Amino acid sequence: MQNTNKEFSFKKYAWTQFKKNKIALVCLYLLFTLIVLAVFAPYIANDRPLYAVYNGKTLFPAFASETRSDSIYKNGEFLHVLQYDITDWRSLDLKSVIWAPIPYSPSSMDRYNRDYASPSGKQRFKNKDGDIVEIPSKFRHRLGTDGIGRDLAAGLIHGTRISLMVGLVSMGIAALIGIILGALAGFFGDNKLQMPRIKYWMTLFGLFMGIFYGFGQRKYILSDAFGTSISNGILQTFISIIIIFGTVFLFRKLSLLLKFRYLKDETNVPIDTFVSRGIELLNSIPRLLLIITITAVVERSIWIVMIIIGLTSWTGIARFTRAEFLRIRSLEFVQAAESLGFSSVRTIFKHALPNALAPVFVSIAFGIASAILIESGLSFLGIGVPTDIVTWGSLLNLGRQNLEAWWLIIYPGMAIFITITIYNMIAEASRDALDPKLKS
Amino acid sequence: MLKYIIQRIITFIPMLIAISLIAFIISINAPGDPVERLSKAAGNEGSAEKQSGASKKIKQELRKKLGLDLPIFYFSITDLASSDTLYRIQDKYHKKNLEALTHQSGNWGAVSDYYNALLKLQKSHQSIDIKSITAKDSSLNVNEVTEANNQFGVEIGSLLETSNKLLIAGKFDKMNTLLIDNIFLSNIKQQLQEVQNSNNNLVSKSQTWKTYIPNINFYGSKNQYHLWLFGNGKERKGLLRGDFGISYIDSQPIQDKIWQKVGISFSLSLISIFLAYLISIPIGIYSAYKKDSVADKGMSLILFILYSMPSFFVGTLLLLQFANPDNLSWFPVSGIQDPTLFNPEWSIWQKIKHRLPFLILPIITYTYGSFAFLSRIMRVGMIDIVTQDYIRTARAKGLGESKVILKHALRNSLLPVITVFAAIFPMAIGGSIIIEVIFSIPGMGVEVFNSILNYDYPMIITVFTLSGFLTMIGYLVSDILYAVVDPRISYK
Repeated sequence: MQNTNKEFSFKKYAWTQFKKNKIALVCLYLLFTLIVLAVFAPYIANDRPLYAVYNGKTLFPAFASETRSDSIYKNGEFLHVLQYDITDWRSLDLKSVIWAPIPYSPSSMDRYNRDYASPSGKQRFKNKDGDIVEIPSKFRHRLGTDGIGRDLAAGLIHGTRISLMVGLVSMGIAALIGIILGALAGFFGDNKLQMPRIKYWMTLFGLFMGIFYGFGQRKYILSDAFGTSISNGILQTFISIIIIFGTVFLFRKLSLLLKFRYLKDETNVPIDTFVSRGIELLNSIPRLLLIITITAVVERSIWIVMIIIGLTSWTGIARFTRAEFLRIRSLEFVQAAESLGFSSVRTIFKHALPNALAPVFVSIAFGIASAILIESGLSFLGIGVPTDIVTWGSLLNLGRQNLEAWWLIIYPGMAIFITITIYNMIAEASRDALDPKLKS
Repeated sequence: MLKYIIQRIITFIPMLIAISLIAFIISINAPGDPVERLSKAAGNEGSAEKQSGASKKIKQELRKKLGLDLPIFYFSITDLASSDTLYRIQDKYHKKNLEALTHQSGNWGAVSDYYNALLKLQKSHQSIDIKSITAKDSSLNVNEVTEANNQFGVEIGSLLETSNKLLIAGKFDKMNTLLIDNIFLSNIKQQLQEVQNSNNNLVSKSQTWKTYIPNINFYGSKNQYHLWLFGNGKERKGLLRGDFGISYIDSQPIQDKIWQKVGISFSLSLISIFLAYLISIPIGIYSAYKKDSVADKGMSLILFILYSMPSFFVGTLLLLQFANPDNLSWFPVSGIQDPTLFNPEWSIWQKIKHRLPFLILPIITYTYGSFAFLSRIMRVGMIDIVTQDYIRTARAKGLGESKVILKHALRNSLLPVITVFAAIFPMAIGGSIIIEVIFSIPGMGVEVFNSILNYDYPMIITVFTLSGFLTMIGYLVSDILYAVVDPRISYK
């Protein structure tokens, strides 16, 4: 038997099982490729060259900040100021130059190839002498352009970035909420979490006061911070959350003073009921409609879309975590941890959680696929995502509006489809690998 | 059984309340002023002079009709500094500004003094008659005077909506210079002084400690939420009695708009769900029956890939291929009927015949969305049942394979069909936004899409609430049906 092997570890076993599924393995490599494309997107598709020598000066325009400007001297004489973001690099007299593989940025408009230049059709180019000629193969729009001359290939490469970010951020939020709530609900159930009545009441009261001080009192600070920048806003939100936790902690400590008679009696905290009802409630609202309704009242931003998707899609993860904890809490090692007198927090997060993560991981992978699907659906409709951000969904929408530009339908659609398939495939293969019982 | 149903209904009510609360919270946070939107929709936006007179009165009536003069909820949680009568202020931006000012100063009395002084200043400023002033003093240039006067008015208006201290000080500076430069404004110098004094009081009499103490105010049943949900027994009937409010786009009652559009979405979703089951059940049975065969594995892979294909991509591809003069122009591109040919007096049969080519592509897309998913579910359920004891018993009795599968296994694997009830109603009311937009079908989906583009919040909120309610009802119905149909499930 395999289990008698001393070297045996579950992770190794799962990995060998996963590797047996060749299609899933290919998908894993494809996912890495996508990640590489996303990370290096600005150097793969950029209208500024990667390396250029201009009037004796060596420049790395694609790697420099967009707002940079250099003073150019010719033979010791001041020539002009080179502003990186508005310079037309193709018209400069560059000594030696290395262009990015796709020499266009997603938002840069090629005015000579407007009105849906086909990938195989005739494309025009203005050479250094100012003549309009047939495009050199280096600058060809290999996947075509849209109505205002934006390069499709550059849009797709940068869209990879947004799609992967959507999956990462929204599922990160969803996993955080889902795992914590699911773990608490599954571990404590309805009658395992007991505390003195006064402590229970004080916790609820502390939560109320915490929200009052953390969000009610600070709402002007928060809205100012979000007005200046997203990162500032997130920082202030963190401070608010710390205030809430601090207040709850304070009130819980305060309850020690009032521990007498009736107030001292132990009472059940029906945490499972709270969480299960919450899940049921969120599940009963059509998700796309909920997300659309919220995006209709908040301002347009890709970050807000990600956060909303995250806040509405934790229920699946919470359900899986809860089910897994219900199973685990009766196992010997958890009981051993409890009988050793470990605190509940330590038992949950250090002992039980690592053993519950396998099915959760699978539902996160499925969740990423559906988050990407929702985001591309939203940008396909032009809801929530700002119009100046190029995403796969918005490119596909351009194709829908002009059916002659088949390249605007096929390529972005395939990009969405392949990414979703990759995630679904990996999720399914790892489900089979992690839990052979579930295999169907 | 009856006990279970009653129990189920009791847990169902708090969920409905929760959904209505979520919808209400979203709706009161919607940007913009509903009264402005509605009066714009009704075309009441006149010139500046008109605005001050008739239109203002109309707006006031509208505000009352919408219940915006009422407190928001049964109770409010604020701090000790805030006033419990703030909801009476009409202007939404003034209200927000007063809230912010109270938060800064903590002294509601000082804030309301400041506000009243400002209103007084605005009133006496508005009563300045430029014509008579310029008529009296011929040395004055009419344009310059009007300009200065308007400038002063703008400053007052923006003071009413600013809580930033630096900005306020800047406005005061500007107003004072205007006062010095223009003698005709000297009548209101006294009032400006009062405003400035009361503004200073905001700081000198501040009671910031008050903002740290929470306070709960109760308002009773005369509030916006109650009015929205239950109505007031008079002209507003409330959501529960089918009064959903007025659309911002064309001032039409929302319930009428929904009734016009819901039919097409409902029939589309009904047909496509029926078709999806018709296709996916045999596929599921077949691949479960031939489990692990080449056919099953191939089918699973194809279904899996189809499952990952977004329906909006499929829909656009279908349009590209079959409704495109460049490729195959088999079907019309958009809509559900040809207005030049369609005759409303046709018989139902003729109408269906006319509309069929319009509906084929949408129905394929619609069906496609649920078919891959359903086949996979069906296969898993069937495999689960085929390994059960009673199937083995049936085989041991010597029953033919087709009888075992079709008579014994199929009936039980069909139970999940009931779950469909949970999905049909909300799909009809929300429509499939994406599919209807792609094919320009004038159903609820396009209606929701348009209302989002036009910020028609009453419509969005209504659709949201209704589809939440209907999903809950769908769950309830399917749970009860489960209990009726499947005797193995016991509810205790």
